[in-house]
Amino acid sequence: MNARAARLRWARRWALAPGLLLLGLTLLAAPLLGQVYQPPAYGSDFPLIGSRNAIWIVAQVHLMFAAFVLGVPMFAVVTEAIGIWGKDDRYDRLSKEFTRLLLVAYSATALLGGLFLFLLVTLYPGLFAYLSEIFHISMWVYAGLFFFESATLYMYYYGWDRWKEGWAKLGHLGLGVLLNVWGTAVLFIANAWLTFMMSPPADVAPDTSPAMVQFWSAFANATWMPINIHRLIANAVFGGSIVAAYAGYRFLKSRTPEERAHYDWMGYVGNFIAIAVFLTLPFAGYWLGREIYEYNQQMGVTMMGGFMSWLWIVQAFLIGVLFLAANYYLWLGLGRIPGGERFVPYTKWMLAVLVIGFMVWATPHSMIADRDEVAAMGGTHHPFLGVLGLMSAKNTAVNLMILTTFLSFLMYRRANKIPTVSWAKTGTLAQGTILAVCTAVVIFYGIYGYFVPTLVRIGFSVYQVLAVLFTIVAVIGLDLLVMRKAESRGPIRWGEMPERSQYALFVLVITFTWLMGLMGFARSGIRQHWHVYEVMRDTTAHAATPALGYAAQVISACVVIFLLMIAFVFWIGGMIATPTLVAHEEPVVVPVRGTDPGPDAAPGLGLDPQPLPAE
Amino acid sequence: MASVDLKILAVGAMTIALYTTVANIIPQLESDLPPEVDLAAGMTPEQLVEIGGQLFAGAGGCVVCHAETPGARAPNLSADYQGEGPIGVRCHARIEGMACKDFLYQSLVQPTQHMVEGYPPIMPPADRTLTQPQIWAIVAYLESLGGEVTVTAADIPAAPADGAPEPAAAAATGAGLEAMGPAEIVQVECVQCHLYEGEGVELGPALDGIGARRSADELRRAILDPPSVVTEGYEELVGLMPVDFGRRMSAEQLESVVQYLSDLR
Ligand code: HEC
Ligand code: HEM
Repeated sequence: MNARAARLRWARRWALAPGLLLLGLTLLAAPLLGQVYQPPAYGSDFPLIGSRNAIWIVAQVHLMFAAFVLGVPMFAVVTEAIGIWGKDDRYDRLSKEFTRLLLVAYSATALLGGLFLFLLVTLYPGLFAYLSEIFHISMWVYAGLFFFESATLYMYYYGWDRWKEGWAKLGHLGLGVLLNVWGTAVLFIANAWLTFMMSPPADVAPDTSPAMVQFWSAFANATWMPINIHRLIANAVFGGSIVAAYAGYRFLKSRTPEERAHYDWMGYVGNFIAIAVFLTLPFAGYWLGREIYEYNQQMGVTMMGGFMSWLWIVQAFLIGVLFLAANYYLWLGLGRIPGGERFVPYTKWMLAVLVIGFMVWATPHSMIADRDEVAAMGGTHHPFLGVLGLMSAKNTAVNLMILTTFLSFLMYRRANKIPTVSWAKTGTLAQGTILAVCTAVVIFYGIYGYFVPTLVRIGFSVYQVLAVLFTIVAVIGLDLLVMRKAESRGPIRWGEMPERSQYALFVLVITFTWLMGLMGFARSGIRQHWHVYEVMRDTTAHAATPALGYAAQVISACVVIFLLMIAFVFWIGGMIATPTLVAHEEPVVVPVRGTDPGPDAAPGLGLDPQPLPAE
Repeated sequence: MASVDLKILAVGAMTIALYTTVANIIPQLESDLPPEVDLAAGMTPEQLVEIGGQLFAGAGGCVVCHAETPGARAPNLSADYQGEGPIGVRCHARIEGMACKDFLYQSLVQPTQHMVEGYPPIMPPADRTLTQPQIWAIVAYLESLGGEVTVTAADIPAAPADGAPEPAAAAATGAGLEAMGPAEIVQVECVQCHLYEGEGVELGPALDGIGARRSADELRRAILDPPSVVTEGYEELVGLMPVDFGRRMSAEQLESVVQYLSDLR
């Protein structure tokens, strides 16, 4: 035996000694420890509404605020960057106006977070002790990050006018990026805790002591990344839609044409960001769904086919409303673009596609869970609806709805432009061909899906999605080229928007908030009567997961509370400083950047700022 | 200006009300808790089958895969599958020399031990979510699908001493009816809602002459699973009768009550 091995043996033997000593002491102390106070698993029930509803509402409203304070910085940084590179001050002021609201929203988030924590500790001490045993370090880091985050936020806001030239401006933008980095880190940490409750690693069993759970495997559990991505995207959408609704409110309250123009434009930008990002959400959702299936088939089928299957019908309904409201807003907006009237006749066909798609998507599929549901539906397979409800039809419908919405944006973008490049006709034709082929591909696989086994059919949805993504990228790319040096038919007449369009923005934000509440219920209800899925049982009287109707009432309560609080935040925000439009003294007319929106302009769709109407 | 605020409020309220309504008009499904199997009560095979059936269709989460519909994710258990009969029949032939109930138990806790050809290994081990008594109750139920129930209380291992108590389930169950004989049970418990020999409350159907109207089988079911046996004219009152009598009585008590009622002609 060599010396090294011998040393190792020695080392091991000695390492054992303190361990044995500790064991001996523990055994000795055991009778004494038996006397020690043991915390109960649950605190006393919360008065009136019960513990479950109390924690549900506070957690959900906290989550909505969190989504807001994470989503708005993303929005702010993007608009600030557009302001810098697009050399347009308006974006910069827009960005600042929203950062100001963040200051107030931030404290509301923290307050709700504190309330949430206290409720958790007092109502569910057993669960909290369990989680903190596993996650304590990340909990400290989480709290610590808030210091950095608030410091960054303060510098970002109060440094706005100080660092506004040259490199300092870029540094300021860097602060905004940093703010997002902190926010994302916070989100990822909290997501680790809640996804652990949903998908604990397979080796964690009910009798596993939390002290023995490997931190990293618990932290980076099966659904962690999918939820991270899904929420990140959803938060950006949420931020954009709140901005749009805020602008809508201001628009309706405007007294001067300048104000109307400014807020009309702001509403458009917010809505644009919300919808553009929103289009990627279903893909992230499918990924999340797949990971859940892979983690535990039973959980997957409970979610999609079990007692929750109807939840997706409601989700589809909400998303249908989102598509309709967003497109409605865009179509009304065509009226303020010179040349937009060319496209108006098409909108009724697009409306038809949306409505049909909506109906197909919201059709219940025969994913029957139990006899109650069979009875409720009057048979397992609805003779007609059953076929439409198959996944093939749904995927086809949602892809066509995405394409339609994309087309609306495209119309918007092109409405007031006259291409000047020599190959414009060919280019447009190519765009049309791509769109047509894509539609054909989507429909082909949708129909073909009925003639192949399920497993093959699931693969088809990937082709459909790829076709749509390719089309979006290719058509935009072509459009940038075709519209280079395009002539303008005249500037967008910002502010000339019918009032009813603004109500579409409100419907959007409320729908989105409600959707968040619904998905929060999905995420948490999928655990059924478990605090930690298949590891720690909920043994309270509230253990059974309620039906959707009941959940909907709680969700509505959350939404109302959130909207009231947000209205308060905006009101306070309005008092901190007067709105940006009044604040700046330069002439309102923003330089018209000729006929060439050019590559340096906002690369988006129709985002190019336009002069305000000359008064 | 104030009218703008009002309009916004109205649009908001209408949107929220719409979603709340939509969510309330679809079928309302709760995820129920798995019913407890109380061994202390000394359950009969019928009681086990009854609870097993509830678990199978509800909280056990089996029917999401083992659905009746063609093309389900897992083989049909209640009807014939590929000419081998329902599960209560084909269980005998699955593994040479293995008793039906043992095969079923194994296929629940170690689903990959024996695979049905053509299906992926997606079935989760039942002992992750269910207790041993609950699993045995399901085995009894599966046996009852076309076969004979051989599971007895003796098959079921006693709950481990450190097993966490389940207060929710315990609270839902009333006190046991230990020392009571059948006549006493009927005259003390049942008359709280049924008329019997002029005594009691006229809520449910009278018990006088019930043996002439109902078979022993129906009577047993009416006690174990009240909604499954409904007397004409009482449809509105379904759900009123306590569902926990089955659990509160021992096997002998249940049988004696059934016998007692059958004799009321
Ligand atoms: C995630 C889907 C899924 C769930 C949930 C599920 N099973 Fe299964 N089960 C299967 C599949 C697939 C098979 C066939 C492959 C195999 O033998 O594992 C199967 C096979 C079986 C068999 C053997 C059938 C035979 O013909 O040999 C029995 C018995 C069974 N399951 C009972 C149950 C019970 C009871 C439950 C509820 C506690 C349940 N299963 C839950 C998917 C599932
Ligand atoms: C089949 C596709 C989808 C599945 C399976 C799915 C599932 C989920 C789940 C489980 C959550 C977690 C909820 C939470 O943690 O609070 C969630 C969150 C969310 N989902 Fe989806 N989703 C899908 C598609 C969509 C789509 C298309 C949208 C479009 C609007 C969407 C919007 C949201 C929102 C807003 C949230 C809340 C984000 C947050 O918590 O901050 N989802 N989704």
